[in-house]
Amino acid sequence: MNSREKILKKIKSFPIEKTPMPKFDVKAIASEDRIEAFKQSVKVVGGQAVMLKDYGTIDNLVTVLFPDVKRIATNLEGINCATENPDNFSMASMLNGVDVGIVEGHFGVVENGAVWVTQAMKHKALYFISEALIVILDADQLVETMHEAYKREEVYGDYEYGCFISGPSKTADIEQALVIGAHGAKAVTIVLT
Amino acid sequence: MSSHAKAAAQFIKNTERTAWHDQALFFVRQKRDNVAKNIDEWEVLRTKASQIKEHTVSNLEHYLTTFEKNAKANGIQVHWASDADEHNKIVAEIIENHKAKKLVKSKSMLTEECELNHFLEENGTEVVETDLGERIMQFLKLPPSHIVLPAIHVKRQEVAEIFNKEIHTDANNSDPAYLTQAARMHLREKFIEADISMTGVNFAVAEEGAFVVCTNEGNADMGTSFANVHIASMGIEKLVPNYESLGIFTRLLARSATGQPITTYTAHYKKPAKGKEIHIILVDNNRTEILKDKDHSNMLKCIRCGACMNTCPVYRRTGGYSYSYFIPGPLGINLSMLKEPKKHSGNVSACSLCYSCSNVCPAKIDLAEQIYKWRQDLDKYGEADPMKKMVVKGMKKVMGSPGLFYAAIKSGRLINHMPRFMVYNGLNDWGKGREMPVIALKTFNEMWKKGEVRSNESSKNK
Amino acid sequence: MMKDLKNMKIGLFIPCYINAVYPNVGVASYKLLTSVGLDVDYPLDQTCCGQPMANGGFEKDSTKLAHRMDDLFEKYDYVVGPSASCVCFVKETYPRLLEKEEHECLSSKIYEICEFLHDIVKVNHIDSYFPHKVSIHNSCHGVRLMKLSSPSELNIPKYSKLHNLLSLVKGIEIYEPKRVDECCGFGGLFSIEEPETSTCMGEDKISDHMATTAEYITGADSSCLMHMEGVIKRKKLPIKTKHIVEILSASL
Repeated sequence: MNSREKILKKIKSFPIEKTPMPKFDVKAIASEDRIEAFKQSVKVVGGQAVMLKDYGTIDNLVTVLFPDVKRIATNLEGINCATENPDNFSMASMLNGVDVGIVEGHFGVVENGAVWVTQAMKHKALYFISEALIVILDADQLVETMHEAYKREEVYGDYEYGCFISGPSKTADIEQALVIGAHGAKAVTIVLT
Repeated sequence: MSSHAKAAAQFIKNTERTAWHDQALFFVRQKRDNVAKNIDEWEVLRTKASQIKEHTVSNLEHYLTTFEKNAKANGIQVHWASDADEHNKIVAEIIENHKAKKLVKSKSMLTEECELNHFLEENGTEVVETDLGERIMQFLKLPPSHIVLPAIHVKRQEVAEIFNKEIHTDANNSDPAYLTQAARMHLREKFIEADISMTGVNFAVAEEGAFVVCTNEGNADMGTSFANVHIASMGIEKLVPNYESLGIFTRLLARSATGQPITTYTAHYKKPAKGKEIHIILVDNNRTEILKDKDHSNMLKCIRCGACMNTCPVYRRTGGYSYSYFIPGPLGINLSMLKEPKKHSGNVSACSLCYSCSNVCPAKIDLAEQIYKWRQDLDKYGEADPMKKMVVKGMKKVMGSPGLFYAAIKSGRLINHMPRFMVYNGLNDWGKGREMPVIALKTFNEMWKKGEVRSNESSKNK
Repeated sequence: MMKDLKNMKIGLFIPCYINAVYPNVGVASYKLLTSVGLDVDYPLDQTCCGQPMANGGFEKDSTKLAHRMDDLFEKYDYVVGPSASCVCFVKETYPRLLEKEEHECLSSKIYEICEFLHDIVKVNHIDSYFPHKVSIHNSCHGVRLMKLSSPSELNIPKYSKLHNLLSLVKGIEIYEPKRVDECCGFGGLFSIEEPETSTCMGEDKISDHMATTAEYITGADSSCLMHMEGVIKRKKLPIKTKHIVEILSASL
């Protein structure tokens, strides 16, 4: 008997009273101004959310917010400031050293400032290895809580890897002192369009 | 004295470190309290989480096979391991099949449980822990002392020292930002070079055949972004039925663990990318035994947030190493007794029965109630302290007879300025840090008998 | 106060260490209950409820004591005791210990004295004057098992029965420690099984109480107070302990 059968047989060998699945009827308070509340949440988790209209274009936004960067990577169309398209790289390691990565998010979550992304490029490394990550997000695509998030069709979509990214990478493993930028992006900017 | 009590006494000797440890962890608990109190439906979430886990565990066969079927359909390779040895062998086999040499790991308590690192290193594989705290502990050649904050007991100067030795940082610079940046550079290379990336699993979603890994550092995501092979290890209790369940758990996990609204990265692995492989190992290693144990099967609801450790007043003051099991605190006391009661019974005294752990647990596990139950069982395992046993038997006799009880108080035989049970082992453990209570000249019983207990009215009347 | 309460017979439950060490807490309890017009009696020759044995891992050894307690208090309508921890033990554990018994178990009618005054008698006036600063000791079993106040861990509306009762005392200033319901480290046999940890917890708790500038630590559990008193005396700290019934009955 292999281990699979052994484990399943063992579970079957003693009767356990089956309990029902609870109803998913959690009532959560809705925010008055979703965009403001989302911005606030992103701030709490160490990132920033800005409105595209305040900058005009992504190109201008990058120039203003990240004036001294060299490598700007994206596979999105229409971004002229990009210095490279990561999909042209044969190896993910070639992304090491990217200053700004520009990606798209599907929707944001007001309660925790997270944005749902699914791998839309050859190397998902771009999401993490970029020193600064810019996530472009439609401001109409905000949900209040994770309950709503897990009802979105994007979460059930056909992807290899999907992630809720909430702010920049962080750690407090040395004496509980918060340090931004453990392994992933040191800055996360959500651009609401 | 129990093994925990002995180790605790050593830890507490360093009063400065003890105070720091206590305060640092209590601060985490406060952060948890603050965010929990900002969520009106917090207690509802806890109840639902508990019910979802109960439902899943009571239908484990169904959900395991459903997960397997859907994960396979997604192209994930599913392995089953009855115990730690089998788990380690499966990992070794995958490594061999790929002629892999370098493995990066994100934090996984299951691989600690299986003592995987040691096993792989003996077989010539380079294993690099990539969570900063875990990497510090790996350099120090010590196990983590907390399941979420592995290096919580290590001071920054100690980190500076070991980093200087291992990755040549400035020995005099113990700034956490500097040290973290150094680790970032050092581990960046390891990520890029790795052949295999290993992660734990926070949640495996049966209906989707997908699994979720939560980190703040992004180390799991970095690892799986470079290596071609991803091996994920999970205990069979990590299952949840569907994504809707995660709506509950992702709201609870990070808030309970560190007071964050969610972990920075909540990564969903559904399919291997083109040319890559994902393996998942479903590990039993005693979990089906826990399932059988009515008193303790709730332990399978645990989502490993560590909140019970942060709130435990004993853990905070005695540190992770004073427990004999690799998981400390209220969670560890219970899991260790489920693993090997004779070996770990020395942890059962590490609880003042304050019940705070049961209140913070996001899955509403009755942690303290279970510790109480273990105490009742110690005698059965032949592990009850013989002195304590003798005292309890003596108490039973004396307390069972008012004649003996009051005579004993009076004669001072039972109470030498103190109920005898307080000083039972001859070393006067009570008196180590406290003065003895002073026995009153008359017991309440005696006062009542003599009519000396009167209300205001009646004394006025007389 | 409900009228029919006056016709009820109240049995006073005095735990072993209160009997031996703090008889005045018993006297204060009696005065307090009679002052609100209750018919209070003390069934003689009480010993111990059995909690120390049970918490130490010998629950079965307290069965005989449970029988004894149950017999002693059989004829009373209510049983009231000045110790949250002991009352709680009786309430929670006796039904299990006395499973096979036929007569009504003591558990259903036993109350901790503050709970009784607050919830059953519903006192809104206490004739007491205590012109001192006190810091409330929210004991673990009092808070998390007896629900005398809202536990700090839960997201439920804030309340404190002890605070409400103390507010009725004239001249009093009420404080609470920062870690409002952190364990003081007594824990029954824990205090001698893990003496270093227990003492360390006690010292920390007292510091927290002292930081409020209070003169007295007060609470509904003499056992916690006894433990802290031991630490206070050893370290000669400038704070005292006093059971809450002694404050509520200060002018009686």
